[in-house]
Amino acid sequence: MDTELFLIRYLHVLSGIMWIGILWYFNFVQIPSMPKIPDEQKPAIGKVIAPEALFWFRWGAFFTVFFGLALAWRNGYLVEALTLEQPNIGFGMWLGLIMAFNVWFIIWPAQKIALGIVEADAALKPAMARRAMLFSRTNTMLSIPMLASMISVQNPIM
Amino acid sequence: MGKILESLPLTIVAGVVLTVIMIFVTDAIYDSQMSAPEAAISDVMNNM
Repeated sequence: MDTELFLIRYLHVLSGIMWIGILWYFNFVQIPSMPKIPDEQKPAIGKVIAPEALFWFRWGAFFTVFFGLALAWRNGYLVEALTLEQPNIGFGMWLGLIMAFNVWFIIWPAQKIALGIVEADAALKPAMARRAMLFSRTNTMLSIPMLASMISVQNPIM
Repeated sequence: MGKILESLPLTIVAGVVLTVIMIFVTDAIYDSQMSAPEAAISDVMNNM
């Protein structure tokens, strides 16, 4: 039982670092650096690095949520957290769920068009790139309270 | 909202503001869940 809980929590944290690490790479490094990269070098980012990073990003998000929900269920507080009877972990769970929804259903579909991974009207690409950027920023904003909520379970703030 | 999200520093500030709001809302929810005797004990503890 203890080993199982340890393993689930360990995988939850590993997946979370993968997810939020790449989210912050996009927002703190890649997006601000793009205007400084010469046009002839931009395909290295758009065609090679970004698609690879997006793969680990979206599956990191999936497994963070999967192991997080499994951990809450095995510890017996899943319903209490989701109904905010236990608001410290509950807010973090809801923020994580919203962020994961953004990754899979808004950012990834928009990036597939923006990066040319799927066929689409060329005129659509700038709008999709902007949508992906704004929702990625939204997730960066939400990651700050989400992480505070997760940590507050072990170390209450107030 | 779009203007805030276009700026990375403003995005971080917005995240910190949301965190502070979340902390106070969390505290308010815990307070509302306390029974009267628990609330009285909590008040005494806070005033010690």
